[in-house]
This record gives sequence, structure tokens and C-alpha cells, in this order.
Amino acid sequence: MTSDTFAVSGALRRLVLGGLVAACLGLSMGLAHAGNIVLGKEKAAQACVACHGADGVKAIDPSYPVLAGQYEDFLVRALTDYKTGARKNAIMAGMAAPLTKEEIANLAAYYASLPGPLKIIKR
Amino acid sequence: MTIKTSVAGIGCGLLLAAGALVSLPASAAGSAAEGAKKNSMCIGCHGIPEYKTAFPHLYRVPKIAGQSEAYIVAAMSAYRSGERSHPSMVAIAKTLTDQDIADLAAFYARGGAR
Repeated sequence: MTSDTFAVSGALRRLVLGGLVAACLGLSMGLAHAGNIVLGKEKAAQACVACHGADGVKAIDPSYPVLAGQYEDFLVRALTDYKTGARKNAIMAGMAAPLTKEEIANLAAYYASLPGPLKIIKR
Repeated sequence: MTIKTSVAGIGCGLLLAAGALVSLPASAAGSAAEGAKKNSMCIGCHGIPEYKTAFPHLYRVPKIAGQSEAYIVAAMSAYRSGERSHPSMVAIAKTLTDQDIADLAAFYARGGAR
């Protein structure tokens, strides 16, 4: 009986601990992605607008994506994958290669903050 | 004579290669109305606000309605060829024809207007 109770409370303790660790991880990941919009705008003016347009909507080529209003964490993922080579595009690989983690976060925050045509449709 | 033949052969080969290159991108004209009937595999993730994919990384799946039509075609073609990787996107893209991709791109680029 006592050992059963102990086992249950041990499992519970592990669960709670695991939950706390997960929560902390989630929080730190969230913080790591919190980019600076003003710095992102500065960087975008140097690196992105020539192709993706001044507003992140009207790109110079129709095969280039709309960036304005896209989810911040998706933009971080895309730029990070271009940087590591996980996602392949000759132009974007060159653009993403020199970017630091902070610059990627800033750019993502900036473009996510812009108004644009992107939306969710349920069906 | 032999030289002429081989030159002609190389010429034909080059033409064929050029033709193959030109026909690589999905060039079918898309129908938004048809796309609207084909998006059942999309809405489970892309139709849910803030929906997150968990593998191999955790992030919100992109908003795709209102995205550029040619970009959607490029993205889906890259998933289908395996050039771009995401397990579920690759699996779904492999079931789609050029026409399916064009129709879905037309549908989503018009923001879901049929």
C-alpha cells in the first residue's frame, strides 16, 4: 500500500517535473523567436525588398511568396532552413547565409507585422 | 557525313533536353472551382488558425490563402519532387497531379473564392 502510494506520487512528481521542463523549454523557444520589428525593417530594406517588394506583397517575380502577414515562426523556419541548406533555393541560400539568429528573428517579426492578403480559410 | 549525322544527333539531344527543362514546372492552367473540390487534404492543417506542425520542428503552418499562385505551384512541385522536405507535405504532394496543383494554387491564390 505504502509502496503503491509512493510509486504513484513518484510518477506524479515526474509528470509535474516534465511539465515544468516542457513549459520552460516552450517559454525559452518563444523568447528566442521574439524579434525586433524596427531592426527587422532596417535589415529588410538592405536584403529583401529588392525582390519581395517594399511592402512584402508585390514581389518582382510571381513565383516569389507574399511575406507580409505571414506567421512569424514560419518565416523563422523558412529562413533558418535556407541558411542550413535544409531548404534549397539558390537565391535564398545566398541571402540567408550571412544572417544571424537575431537578424532572422527580427526579419520574421517585421514581415509578420505587415498588413497583407494572407489569411486562413476553413474550407 | 558521319560528322554531320553526329552533329544532328547532338542537336536533337539538346533540343530534347531543352524541351524536358521547359516542361518541368507544372504548366497546367488552374481552376479555382476545381481546386475548391480538392482541398480536403489541406484544410486539416492550413484551415485552422494558429495550427502548429510538430515534426521535425514546431511552428505554425503558413497561411496559404492569398499567397501568390506561381509560388504555391513552385512550393508544391518542390515538395512532390522531394527537393523541399516536410514529411506530411511531401506525402500529400506526391498524390497530386500537375492539374491538381494548378487548381489548388488557383483556389488559394484567389483567397478561397471559387
